[in-house]
Amino acid sequence: MKIGKLLFVTKFEDLGYDALKTLLSLRQSGLEHIVFMYVIEREKVSMRRGIGYQRDEAIRLKETANIRFIDWAERLFEQGMEVGVYIQIGSLAAEVAKAVRKEEADLVVIGRSHKTTLEQFYSGSTVSELIRRLPVPVLVYKPVTDNPFVTGTPFQRPLIATDWSPASLRAVEYLLDLAPLIEEVRVAHVADAENIEGSSVMTAQKTRKDAKARLEEICARFQAQGTTARSHVYVGDPETEIERAARECQATMVVLGSSSKNIWVERWLGSTPRKIAENSAFPTLLIPPAIG
Amino acid sequence: MGKKVLVVDDDPDVRLFNTTVVEENGYLPLEAENGEEGLQMIKSEKPDLVILDVLMPRQSGIRLYRELKTNASLRDVKILILSGIAKKTFLRSQQALTEFGENQVPEPEFYLEKPVDADVLAATIKKALG
Repeated sequence: MKIGKLLFVTKFEDLGYDALKTLLSLRQSGLEHIVFMYVIEREKVSMRRGIGYQRDEAIRLKETANIRFIDWAERLFEQGMEVGVYIQIGSLAAEVAKAVRKEEADLVVIGRSHKTTLEQFYSGSTVSELIRRLPVPVLVYKPVTDNPFVTGTPFQRPLIATDWSPASLRAVEYLLDLAPLIEEVRVAHVADAENIEGSSVMTAQKTRKDAKARLEEICARFQAQGTTARSHVYVGDPETEIERAARECQATMVVLGSSSKNIWVERWLGSTPRKIAENSAFPTLLIPPAIG
Repeated sequence: MGKKVLVVDDDPDVRLFNTTVVEENGYLPLEAENGEEGLQMIKSEKPDLVILDVLMPRQSGIRLYRELKTNASLRDVKILILSGIAKKTFLRSQQALTEFGENQVPEPEFYLEKPVDADVLAATIKKALG
């Protein structure tokens, strides 16, 4: 899997040029084209009683974004990279999906959603909407300054969390293709506490041993490509334990496979990848069910 | 029939401004909204001048310029770069691509940085078209 083109979706306060710089190591895997995108949410400029369509505000937001993008683009052009830009008015997820199709982007990078829990419930979180709409991986970026535990660029020391689902195994395949970028990979599985509680010591240890053996098979594939790999088994709530694992391993990114749940099932029951993407302090790479 | 001038820019407001200047000065304006579309129109319409933006979706003006200047049948198409991207960045970018092993391309003959006054644009178009 080559990442030749990256769509960098920013609201500026969530993702800046410093974030982009940490992704330039992807040039080793063929990155040569970065497309910037800024979506002016429709409600910011929509018709209001007594005011009408806020054209001046739309122009102000558009030109402010354009000035930022010209500055970023100049730096990248001078490094021989190809750069494009989209500044659109509309719904973020829909506009990103359109741009991904039009540009045939290989990876989408986006900041953490700023919606409140209630807004997320009614309109869905941006991350969830994107996962559902996009056939390509989504990296939910978290600023390094937010997390003293993250030291390095995202692809330097990723942690893959696997539950052996087809989606999480696709995440493994995805990272294997990017092995030359990776300094060290950690592979973790979170065992269900119910499988451990009340069972004998032998059964609990067998659960751990079986999981460890399967993780080691994945590690061996990375090692065969010259990438250091270690396996870890945790027990408990996946969201909490994956965060703990990332911290303990000094991971630079969490990588998860995401299955496409029905929209209402997800809103009522939640999904582990979405929760981690939204709540984790670590950048989170979500690999879709089928990479388009 | 007036000479054909192709305006390649992703911003509809800029396209409208440029094509109006082109038309008011007696030329026939054509439009494309990105480098890829621009290249197709250059091949099919054979314009006398291309007014080319740099920062665009799909394909930038930097790549399109390079593609034109390294194609024997298209390298004589006259190009006026009109962009918010500084000329020195354009030149450094072309230099970086040459250092990466791509062919060397000549400097653009006409380069204007946005925003541009209608009179300056008209004068540069006239100069480019001789």
